[in-house]
Amino acid sequence: MAFPLLSLIVFLPAAGAAVVMLLRSDDAVRWVALGVTVLDLAFAIVMLAGFDTGTSEMQFVEKHPWVPALGITFALGVDGISALFVFLTALLGAVSVLASWIAIDRKVKQFMVSLLAMQALMLGVFSALDLFLFYVCWEAMLIPMYLIIGVWGGDGRVYAAFKFFLYTLAGSLLFLIGIIVLYLQGGKTFDILTLMALDLPFDVQSWLFFAFLVAFAVKVPMVPLHTWLPDAHVQAPTAGSIILAGVLLKMGAYGFLRFSLPMLPEASVHYSTLMMALSVLAIVYGGLLALAQDDLKKLVAYSSISHMGFVTLGIFALNPLGLQGSILQMFNHGVTTGALFLFVGLIYERTHTRSIADYGGLMKVAPVYTGFLALFVLSSMALPGTNAFVGELLVLSGGFAANFALGAVAVLGALLGAAYLLGMYRKVALGPASVGARFKVRDVNGREMAAILPLAVFVFWVGLYPKPFLAIIDSSVTHLLQQVHDKGSGR
Amino acid sequence: MTAAALLPSILASLPEIIVVTGACILLIAGQFVPKGQDAVLVWASVAIVLLAALATFTVSSGAQPAFAGMFVADPFSVFFKSLFYLAIVLTFLLSRKYADIEGIGGSEYYVLLLLALSGMMIMASATDLLSIYVGLELMVLCTYVLTGFLRREQRSNEAALKYVILGAVSTGIFLYGVSLVYGLTGTTQLDRMATAVTGGPPDPALLLAVVFIVAGLVFKIGAVPFHMWVPDVYEGAPTTITAFMSVGPKAAGFAVILRVFLNPLVAGSNVWIIVAVIAVVTMALGSFVALVQDNFKRLLAYSSIAHAGFAIFGIVAGGADGVASVMLYLLIYTFMNLGIFGAVIMMRNGNFSGEVIEDYAGFAKMHPGLALLMLLYLFSLAGIPPTAGFFAKFYVLVALVERGFVVLAVIAVLLSAVAAYFYIRIVMVMFMREPERAFEPALTPLVGITLAVTAAGTVGIGLFPAWFLRLAQQSAFGG
Repeated sequence: MAFPLLSLIVFLPAAGAAVVMLLRSDDAVRWVALGVTVLDLAFAIVMLAGFDTGTSEMQFVEKHPWVPALGITFALGVDGISALFVFLTALLGAVSVLASWIAIDRKVKQFMVSLLAMQALMLGVFSALDLFLFYVCWEAMLIPMYLIIGVWGGDGRVYAAFKFFLYTLAGSLLFLIGIIVLYLQGGKTFDILTLMALDLPFDVQSWLFFAFLVAFAVKVPMVPLHTWLPDAHVQAPTAGSIILAGVLLKMGAYGFLRFSLPMLPEASVHYSTLMMALSVLAIVYGGLLALAQDDLKKLVAYSSISHMGFVTLGIFALNPLGLQGSILQMFNHGVTTGALFLFVGLIYERTHTRSIADYGGLMKVAPVYTGFLALFVLSSMALPGTNAFVGELLVLSGGFAANFALGAVAVLGALLGAAYLLGMYRKVALGPASVGARFKVRDVNGREMAAILPLAVFVFWVGLYPKPFLAIIDSSVTHLLQQVHDKGSGR
Repeated sequence: MTAAALLPSILASLPEIIVVTGACILLIAGQFVPKGQDAVLVWASVAIVLLAALATFTVSSGAQPAFAGMFVADPFSVFFKSLFYLAIVLTFLLSRKYADIEGIGGSEYYVLLLLALSGMMIMASATDLLSIYVGLELMVLCTYVLTGFLRREQRSNEAALKYVILGAVSTGIFLYGVSLVYGLTGTTQLDRMATAVTGGPPDPALLLAVVFIVAGLVFKIGAVPFHMWVPDVYEGAPTTITAFMSVGPKAAGFAVILRVFLNPLVAGSNVWIIVAVIAVVTMALGSFVALVQDNFKRLLAYSSIAHAGFAIFGIVAGGADGVASVMLYLLIYTFMNLGIFGAVIMMRNGNFSGEVIEDYAGFAKMHPGLALLMLLYLFSLAGIPPTAGFFAKFYVLVALVERGFVVLAVIAVLLSAVAAYFYIRIVMVMFMREPERAFEPALTPLVGITLAVTAAGTVGIGLFPAWFLRLAQQSAFGG
């Protein structure tokens, strides 16, 4: 029996949460939480280092019986698609602990417990090889996230927390029925790999596709199921926003990749144009909304909707370029948007305002801050040399290949991105130093740098030398497309 | 019947005999317990129940029919009896301090609970409509009195009176159904009823009889349209009794319904359509009306209606999985519902009633540990994994979809999304409001034990459902 590395990665934050519960001092809580997340990140790196890029098989597989009477197992494993997200989750976990170091000043213990519980469940989602386990983790996340938004959020936090909870719950309940139908169709097993090999009739596939779609589209979020997102993002504390944007949104897209495409290939092919159209709608609509925002956090939130549109566009382009691009873009979005939320949080801690109109000339008082902000803004608008350029280019090439008209409209979205991001940067960072006159703004300190730097590294690394990242996802993407096209277009 | 023939029957019903005898002894001996020594009563009652439990697990196992086929001690009844023991022991533990605060101590309280327990046990074991009736009446008569136990409180008296009148009507309906069955088939025994009518389309009069019986039973589990008594009685009764009634007698009602429904006579008819409608309407009514409740006990009353609705979906599914899913649901519900009621009972201290949801504002800030426990129960009631409440619902849904009732399953989950709202609203009040008062929960060691047991059940079954699932599956009969 191999060393259970994935179990270690998944359960470490949970164990950390239990330890944190026993601590008394707030500082001890912070340090233990940081230690746990950094250690977890280290294990995730070990996992990536030992990852074999030459195969599309599941790796680091563990399997234990859980509820044998119903065919439920505790099965973990990663392939090229999930490995990257396990790493991203671990990375953002450590970043969010750093981001809440002083931002969270009351009920620190409860906050860190929620954060660590969240971490364990998110890792569980990405490494589950059992549909039941996947659903349990997916749904259980509602509890800590509800608390993170509702207890430590801004003024409208209660409303935002309710909206987040009910939207996601309502979405995933249909998914639950879909899972049960799939379970019975597949001969009473929740094993994801077995279910992928199923050959379901088209009408069953269609029904399941839409049952899954609701759950995933709420999480992504796809227009028109996106309205929870601005509220949740704006009201959540910084760490909550980072996790929401960086990891939670990816879960919807991951759901498409892991379940919809391989298990329901015919339906995926059949509805791909519809899905691409919805994606392009999200790109343009999200961009337009972002253009109209005065609240920094809302702007980043709407930009997320737009960027996730690229991700789903790439997925339903159903060609190698699109899929590779969208997986890479998910990673990029986690890094870049996570960073942008971090930056909004950092400046909010100092000025207690998020209104763009209150800022101006920030560069003169906080040059390091604005310098890094520029980097992430440029990355977010996909400037060549940054990470998002690679991802977006791949997605758009895939999109053009699949549907020329929709691809062309998507390019518009990229232009919109440049408009709202540069506009925001100009108003906040450049111009006369009006912000310095009203607020005492200090530049970033060492702890904040520690949160920023790793993210900045990935902006350049993926931007300049994406090969190792593409290598991780490559075989799995090829395998996935084979699954889709073998079964999907056969009839 | 000779003495030798009577012996197996006595062995089979030994637990019931122990409980009834113990209750009678306690009634007399309890008069000699000096004031202020009420703890003795609690421990004596617990001892009686444990003795009965011992008898249940050792002597009277095996499915031999007793008392000429009116009574059976099969695994099905053992499962339900274990559930009753659990519920009543936890109720005893919760009652000790609460009884002092409300001034309702005295041996009668414990004796009536024990007698209600014996009624429930008879219901679980009954295989004849008449023995079902005897158990049912024994149980409800005790709960009528217990509901009105807060003698000086108008609410309590009113609740008891409503309960008696409506209960008597429903019992009358049930008995009328029984008389019709007897007239048409010449027997009241469940097995013989089935053989009496095999072959040919079911007699419409027989269907009518079944509907009457169903109506009588549905009243006991508080399902629509016979739910009207539930909110008033739950609100008016002493909270410990409410806690007990929401799990014990309700489970007993389900035990009888399962037995009657899985009878081929009923299973063969189209009565499942009625049951499906009852399930949907019950769940919808419970969920939607609970949304607007301010009183915690009333909210839990509607929540218990909604949960009854969900469990009825398992009956609609039928089959071995359907039965097992209802049984597991009731077991899990016992843990989580007694847990949340335990928390409400604990809040009752001095002049503070803890019955209004707003009373809990900021509770998490003052008592983070207790608030975490309540959070656990509430999310479990809402059916969010990894708590047991999720697995309970999940298994019912599996049973439903397996039988092809996909639409019903969709309705069930959508309604449970509605229900989730009012549970998380309580969480919101506890965690996201600032405290307005100091809380002094009456957290005695006994209450602490209750909360620990229920929390362990709520988390434990959620994370490791395998053993409990197998237990329910093995205890379920039919198929």
